Amino acid sequence: MSRSAPYRRKAMEHHAKRYGIGMLFMLPWMIGFSAFVAVPVGWSMFMSLHKVAVVPGGFKYDWIGLQNYRDAFLKDNVFPIELITYFQQMLLMVPVIVIFALLISLLLNQKFPGRFVYRALFFLPVIFATGQVLSELFSQGAGDIPFLDQYNLEPLVRQYVGGELAKTVMEVLGRIVLILWYSGVQILIFIAGFQTVSPSIYEAVRIDGASPWDSFWKITLPASMPFVSLNMLYTIIDLFTFPLNPVLKHIRDNMFKVDTGYGYASALAWIYFAFIFALIAIVTGLFSRSMSKRRGRA
Amino acid sequence: MIARLRRIRSASPFQAVLIGGFTALAAFMSLPIIFIFSHAFKPQNELFLFPPRFFVQHPTLRNFESLFLHASNATVPFTRYLFNSIVVLSLTLASVIIVSTMAAYVLAKYRFHFKALILSMITLSLMFAPETVSIPRYLIVSGIGLNNTYFGHVLPSLASPVAVFMLVGFVSQIPNDLIEAAKIDGAGHVGIFARIVLPLSAPAIATISILTFQTVWGDVETSTLFMQKEAMRTLAFYVNSLLSGLQNNVAGQNMAAAAGLLIFIPNLIIFLLFQRKVLESMVHSGIK
Repeated sequence: MSRSAPYRRKAMEHHAKRYGIGMLFMLPWMIGFSAFVAVPVGWSMFMSLHKVAVVPGGFKYDWIGLQNYRDAFLKDNVFPIELITYFQQMLLMVPVIVIFALLISLLLNQKFPGRFVYRALFFLPVIFATGQVLSELFSQGAGDIPFLDQYNLEPLVRQYVGGELAKTVMEVLGRIVLILWYSGVQILIFIAGFQTVSPSIYEAVRIDGASPWDSFWKITLPASMPFVSLNMLYTIIDLFTFPLNPVLKHIRDNMFKVDTGYGYASALAWIYFAFIFALIAIVTGLFSRSMSKRRGRA
Repeated sequence: MIARLRRIRSASPFQAVLIGGFTALAAFMSLPIIFIFSHAFKPQNELFLFPPRFFVQHPTLRNFESLFLHASNATVPFTRYLFNSIVVLSLTLASVIIVSTMAAYVLAKYRFHFKALILSMITLSLMFAPETVSIPRYLIVSGIGLNNTYFGHVLPSLASPVAVFMLVGFVSQIPNDLIEAAKIDGAGHVGIFARIVLPLSAPAIATISILTFQTVWGDVETSTLFMQKEAMRTLAFYVNSLLSGLQNNVAGQNMAAAAGLLIFIPNLIIFLLFQRKVLESMVHSGIK
């Protein structure tokens, strides 16, 4: 007993040292995160339960409980509609973007001359998809399908397709621009994911007589399942925090209205956030179930 | 060049179709860039042409000339904004890379209390659009007294959840055997971090550098909210105020087009610099 006590103390010390250094690595990020992300988010929760008014020298908070949340659905005649419309659009967009990114990255993973150039080109939209450039382009563009008018594609489409069909084609084209632009990072993640599968596995199944089609379904797709779920998450987050989306615009507008104010805007943000959270929870739940099933079988 | 052409000619039909398809898609994707460039060189009458033309018909440098004339009349010189932007960018990039990689290393490779909580908090905060927390942020920044300092620009974007989110995924791909081996060879945390984690997560670091550059370079929020002194604001803010001041002004549209190009070019340069790193190291990395 007396012999093991110093030994145990030494072990404890050793642990504390290792643990402490590991924590030190985390520390700067933790401080920054809590000061500029966690606390503001919590604060907005606090504000969403209050009527916030600007008075000389600061803010005045009046506790009104869930009134703001109730107003969002019962009084506001813009917010619920925009929320639902945007959600419908996004439910369509997210799978399309991920599948498109998967296809493109599969093709880009093939061996062909100049593939590095093309990989770079498909990553290029990343520099539009954020902020300044996009809003600059949108502000110069027109309405909902900003670029098609400027590129003068509509007469072209009308000429070749004609009539009512042209409208549908234009809508799809309008989506395609967004899909192309929003799949930059996803394509990159997929290509990186494909590199994690060792080539010897492909060689082995080829010797066993599997066609490329089989090896895609049996090897590539299961191996890149974690990346599919990562991409799903990334796409959802990317689309929902898109600076020009109508719901966020509505929230921003409410922030500077005198009668509604920050409290109401925060409540709207939290409702929006709850919807996204539910969506993400469903997606991660589905993926983790399918992945654990696969692991169980193996 | 000739060798490359010969290689293309010797491509199989499948490869030929692939190249053809990708060329078409790539051309479609680079349309916005071409538009920005050609828009900046359009003379006044072409900017207001309806229906708008895609390509410039009579390119001119007048837009840039009037932009610089306008800038030289401002109270704070143009170079001051540029200097601020460069200082803020380099500080932010360096600190975001170091801080997030360190955090991702610990989060991906070690088990400790509250790890699940921290990870879920990162995912949660990703979903929160930054606009909605700008007021609490302002209160915090002015509470600590960071108004009108460079820290006020750098610190709010320091703890980027996106960067850590991407890096955790990447760092956890680094095989544990590699880290074990380094530990047996006597490497400490710092050694493992600097010699193994940093080099092996280079592609992810390059990606987050591009993303961070985009957000910081185009960010007007910190300049608008945290900086009251004009001399501490960044180039993006200057261009933005120029644009919004000129929005309803017919004469200002040409300056807006030129400024749009000028603010876009650094994005393109940084992208071209880093993307090679991203793609190269992704393919040649020894990670399995």
